[in-house]
Amino acid sequence: MSVNEKFSAIRKGLLEFLLLQIIAADKVYVADILKQLSATEFATQEGTLYPLLSKMRREGLLDYEWKESEAGPPRKYYELTEKGREQLRETLEYWGKINGTVKKLGQK
Amino acid sequence: MNKVITINLGGNAYQLEEGGYDALRAYLESAAARLQGNPDRDEILSDIERAIAEKFLALLAANKTVVVTKEVAAVLAEMGPIEADPGEAAAPGASGTSGAGEPGAAGEERAAGRGGPPRRLYRIHEGAMIAGVCNGIAAYGNVDPTFVRLAFVILTMLWGSGLLVYVVMAIVVPEARSPEEKAAASGDPATAQEFIRRAKEGYYEAMKGFPDRKARREWKRRFKRDMRANADQWRHNWHCYWAEHVPFHPGMGALPLLSLLQGAVKVLWICALISLLATGAVFGLTLPENVPVWVAALVLVMAYGILACPLKAARRACYRGMGRPRWVWSFVFVLDAVVWLAVAAALLWLAAHYFPELREAVGSIPSLAHQAADDIRSGWKGK
Repeated sequence: MSVNEKFSAIRKGLLEFLLLQIIAADKVYVADILKQLSATEFATQEGTLYPLLSKMRREGLLDYEWKESEAGPPRKYYELTEKGREQLRETLEYWGKINGTVKKLGQK
Repeated sequence: MNKVITINLGGNAYQLEEGGYDALRAYLESAAARLQGNPDRDEILSDIERAIAEKFLALLAANKTVVVTKEVAAVLAEMGPIEADPGEAAAPGASGTSGAGEPGAAGEERAAGRGGPPRRLYRIHEGAMIAGVCNGIAAYGNVDPTFVRLAFVILTMLWGSGLLVYVVMAIVVPEARSPEEKAAASGDPATAQEFIRRAKEGYYEAMKGFPDRKARREWKRRFKRDMRANADQWRHNWHCYWAEHVPFHPGMGALPLLSLLQGAVKVLWICALISLLATGAVFGLTLPENVPVWVAALVLVMAYGILACPLKAARRACYRGMGRPRWVWSFVFVLDAVVWLAVAAALLWLAAHYFPELREAVGSIPSLAHQAADDIRSGWKGK
């Protein structure tokens, strides 16, 4: 496994966490999410995002509402549920711990 | 020169070059195959279709109406391949949520997923008479809405429970708004394959009459505007009629009067229905030999609907005309309610004292329903 492949596994695992953070900030639809991620290492595509979002909705982390767009099909705007907010809080806490551990270990 | 194919994506028609159409179909088919067993498969597929539709829309302009093969390929590359189990590969321990943790259960779920999308009970507004409850039940049970309505009417007539159930369902059952919900209401798959199938069948044949996208839009806009203007005109006429022909404020005296009229029509109708069920004749008119009783009952129900419709509309107009002062209106409403109660009580009394056949009629409903079902079945087979 090359270094790049290892990173890709890490990114994949973190994507859900990042989605929670993006959706917590504002009601967004998928194109907004893609745009926000595109400038980062986490740039992704609809083909990945839609299945992940629908899995998160199934787990009760987020919900959506329909909004008509001026031209074209209606859009789904996602927002976090109470459970999603709770999970985001827990993940942030855990992430802080991991970060601390990564920095601390190996130091003498 | 390339052949162009018209498809429906997310509710809009798009024209693709044949090569692009093939690529899109292959993409959506592979997406469907990868999502096999995913409980949200149909929803994800229609999400993806809408996303593709938006991208197509961004490519088109007034003088560019066809998405060429190269552009379709670019859009599909931008979409990226569908990842069947997002995040689960990275976190194998946390995937128990879908209830398909064990291999056996996963297999079963997959088999169930292939059987079609899950059906849900929604109210369906298209073609509805009141709030779409009967329409929704009919779509859910895959039967003709007329029969559901008939059942509700009979329930309301006999025990009054139909009305209560209807009101509760109108409040509790959600309305199908989005394409998915509409598809889930009737169990039709809302997937591209379905749309493509329809496109192939010439479902959008009519749209081809408008090769120019602009002309098509213009036509749609004019149609909508005309419909709106018609509705306004009708409403205006209605108001003028009331203002000219009714000397008092519509509703003040009209509401209880209308209730009384409606009650009278209802009594007549129930008498007719009972005599039909009990003796096979309506007011001395015997049915022809080849007309089954349930058809006659259906005709009676429809006739009542037609008769009662203007009365109902007038009553609704009265309610809508509610203004100040409030206390006058509450008095009118109380009077209205009293009239209704009196009609109901009179009906019960009539039923108990003068129609020993009523019990017989109620008893004959199950056999009538069986007869209706048999008739329909044999008629269907005859086709």
